[in-house]
Amino acid sequence: MSQGEIIAGFLAPHPPHLVYGENPAQNEPKSQGGWEPLRWAYERARAALEEMRPDVLLVHSPHWMTSVGHHFLGVERLSGKSVDPIFPNLFRYDFSLNVDVELAEACAEEGRKAGLVTKMMRNPNFRVDYGTITTLHMIRPQWDIPVVGISANNSPYYLNTEEGLGEMDVLGRATLAAIRKTGRRAVLLASNTLSHWHFHEEPAIPEDMSKEHPQSMAGYQWDMRMIELMRKGHMKEVFELLPKFIVEAFAEVKSGAFTWMHAAMGYPQVPAELYGYGTVIGTGNAVMCWDMRNARGPAPVHRGAAERSSALAV
Amino acid sequence: MSVVSAFLVPGNPLPVLKPAVPAWGDLAQAMRKAGLALAASRPDAVLVYSTQWIAVLDQLWITRRHTTGVHVDENWYEFGDLPFDIHADEKVAAACVEACPKNGVHARGVDYDGFPIDSGTIAVSGLLGIGGADRPLVIGSNNVYHNGEVTEKLAALARDCAAAQGKRVAVVGVGGLSGSVFRTEIDPATDHFASAEEDRWNRRVLKVMEEGDVEQLRKITPEYAGAARVDMGFKHLHWILGALDGAFRGAHVHGYGPLYGSGAAVVEFKI
Repeated sequence: MSQGEIIAGFLAPHPPHLVYGENPAQNEPKSQGGWEPLRWAYERARAALEEMRPDVLLVHSPHWMTSVGHHFLGVERLSGKSVDPIFPNLFRYDFSLNVDVELAEACAEEGRKAGLVTKMMRNPNFRVDYGTITTLHMIRPQWDIPVVGISANNSPYYLNTEEGLGEMDVLGRATLAAIRKTGRRAVLLASNTLSHWHFHEEPAIPEDMSKEHPQSMAGYQWDMRMIELMRKGHMKEVFELLPKFIVEAFAEVKSGAFTWMHAAMGYPQVPAELYGYGTVIGTGNAVMCWDMRNARGPAPVHRGAAERSSALAV
Repeated sequence: MSVVSAFLVPGNPLPVLKPAVPAWGDLAQAMRKAGLALAASRPDAVLVYSTQWIAVLDQLWITRRHTTGVHVDENWYEFGDLPFDIHADEKVAAACVEACPKNGVHARGVDYDGFPIDSGTIAVSGLLGIGGADRPLVIGSNNVYHNGEVTEKLAALARDCAAAQGKRVAVVGVGGLSGSVFRTEIDPATDHFASAEEDRWNRRVLKVMEEGDVEQLRKITPEYAGAARVDMGFKHLHWILGALDGAFRGAHVHGYGPLYGSGAAVVEFKI
């Protein structure tokens, strides 16, 4: 078995509005469209993913929040109806997904070895969270690639941002070790919105785009600043700014997916491809890709990540 | 007054999932006792607010008459499933949706097959014996942007909507006390409070409840909420206070104990 690798990482936010706007057969409510620029961004991401042909998609979702450790879906096939508890009017989705349990177990094992608490979710009746499902649908609506679903441990909220993201860094490095050992060609999905200030009331017609705009100028400006740095590949600066971004833009990257993904990739200083940006109920969402095929070379993955982990813990 | 009984109960599903664990089983037993008192008060409906039903847009109310299914808790799935069969008083809930805008709150009804009713509401319904056709629920969401004051208004609004339909109600606030938890796996048989200081805080607050000193309770709640990491800032208490117009004579603590380090109590208020 050849050594596995991470082909790419996508910033792949999960507003259920995008599924609602697309009107797939799996989603019960139907819309008149809406949020097209973001949905077109995902179309480009889908094309890129098609070309990559990964063995597995790993997704870290803030809407499976766990308090005792980092959890992994551990049932080979999960299916059911996922109704969004916050937007039940928009998202009632019949899902069916295949889990790469071997890789999930390897991630859990590597995480344990690295000092994290990890758990395998073995209950076949488990309802997969809407963040995981939305991200997976938007990036690969065919549902023909096995997945590894990872919970968001609540450490960034329960402890503090620095300690919490330090854990996500360790989780990312453990994820890379598991991918390498199992020989998978993997794509990582960070299911995160950027600025997360949002409106508190929903328009009568949710897809009325005349009501859609950034909730705050400050949040929008933060998003543009961070995206521009990402597009230039200035990821070191992105991570230096991340704690301030989280506070000032109420950024959802606090939940850890973004840090997990970049830690797994060794914080590549490569430009990200921006497929598109748009707001959903005022929040800032970017669909972006870090193509690791552009970052080949002896990247000091473990050492760099460890250094960053130390910096985050300060 | 149309409120015939009031209870504060924990929403963590561990007591119903693993009653063989002594601390958790004691809380389950306490809830069953509270359920008997609730049944004896003969309500027509039960006003339920669970900290675990999170909303961020609008105030949501369950308007679906009958919801059944199998729920699996996102944290405690290893201990089994939570089958549920819950009836809602859809007429009172619909009235709440209609009344909310008059109180400055946007609201929506939730009437969808497969809607994920939260672990707290499901666990409590079983142990208290509520949510059947004879004691339907009026379930309001916990909008994270609502403070205690708004939560009290919503509870009062729900009570008044029920009263306008000639219905007597029990009120149930579902949520925990202190919030520090163990972050590594423990042997459940050894469960205890994660923080001795938080345990002291819990006991102090419960004593104030027992004494019926609402003024003091309101005074110390903000500090308690911060010092003991109280579940959702103790908004579930505000739900009860709102329904009771901020007045009760005392309380009986049916049970108090740890749930994976956090604090939990089953309290029946004397009204």
